[in-house]
Amino acid sequence: MHDERGPELPELNPVIHGKLRLALLSLLAGVEEAEFTWLRGKTASTDGNLGAQLMKLEEAGYVSVEKKFVQRKPQTIYRITGAGRAALAEYVQALKQLLGAAINE
Amino acid sequence: MNANAEEFEIKDRLKLIESMMAEGRHSTENWGWTFVLWGVAYFIATAWSSLGANGKVLAWPVTMIAAAIITVFGAARTKNGQPETTLGRAVGAVWSAMGMSLFILLMSLGWSHHYDTNVAVAIIGAMLGTANAACSFMLKWKMQFACAVAWLASTIVACFGTEAQAFIAFLVATFFCQIVFGVYAMICESRRRRQGGAVHA
Repeated sequence: MHDERGPELPELNPVIHGKLRLALLSLLAGVEEAEFTWLRGKTASTDGNLGAQLMKLEEAGYVSVEKKFVQRKPQTIYRITGAGRAALAEYVQALKQLLGAAINE
Repeated sequence: MNANAEEFEIKDRLKLIESMMAEGRHSTENWGWTFVLWGVAYFIATAWSSLGANGKVLAWPVTMIAAAIITVFGAARTKNGQPETTLGRAVGAVWSAMGMSLFILLMSLGWSHHYDTNVAVAIIGAMLGTANAACSFMLKWKMQFACAVAWLASTIVACFGTEAQAFIAFLVATFFCQIVFGVYAMICESRRRRQGGAVHA
């Protein structure tokens, strides 16, 4: 693909393709569950942006959310779902295929 | 997009996925301080118990209970906000089970007046050797396996050596496997925290 808009990989899953969403799904793939604050710290993103991206992942069914209180403090816990794990695996596979194609070009 | 830019972008994304997944796994490895704490506790208890009759009775129970309380509070602080991982839970389970067993065994031996230095060092060495070996296999950490070997060596010394030799073997193993290894683990953890990059999306 040749255009002037910079690096783009349109053939890939658009829900995961956003860099922050990809980072979030990858982080969640390495753990059983994680708090909102931990994800914010690891991605150095703002509350608003992080919340919006997590909501997109949740709407796609890739993460599940649980809100609870621990010692009277609210906690929002995120987990990757089976669909999220499968989508990430497919995305990685697609990247590897594209990488093979790019190298052979 | 030209081939080079595309290749760079793909590699960048694969690297991001790999580093983020590793970040999650490593987040539960902030336990170097517990090795140092228990190593120092063993040394305090040993020194205190050599001070006299009162020390012999009180030193181990008081020091072990104090170290256990500090560990529980420290663990609550360390885990606060950290993600739950299968690996972290497995490693935690090994150390919790070992800690509970050792705590009950040593307390019982002490209070029943059946405490014998050679037997105690042999048991402590075997249990700590087992826990360190199990964790080293899970984490694929050669340094921790070296600690397991050192603890098991202290067990052998305690079984075949004199009381003084068993005591020295315990102190040497405690110094290297608790304090030196604990400080090394803390340095590794802090280095990893500094290297952990943020995602700017």
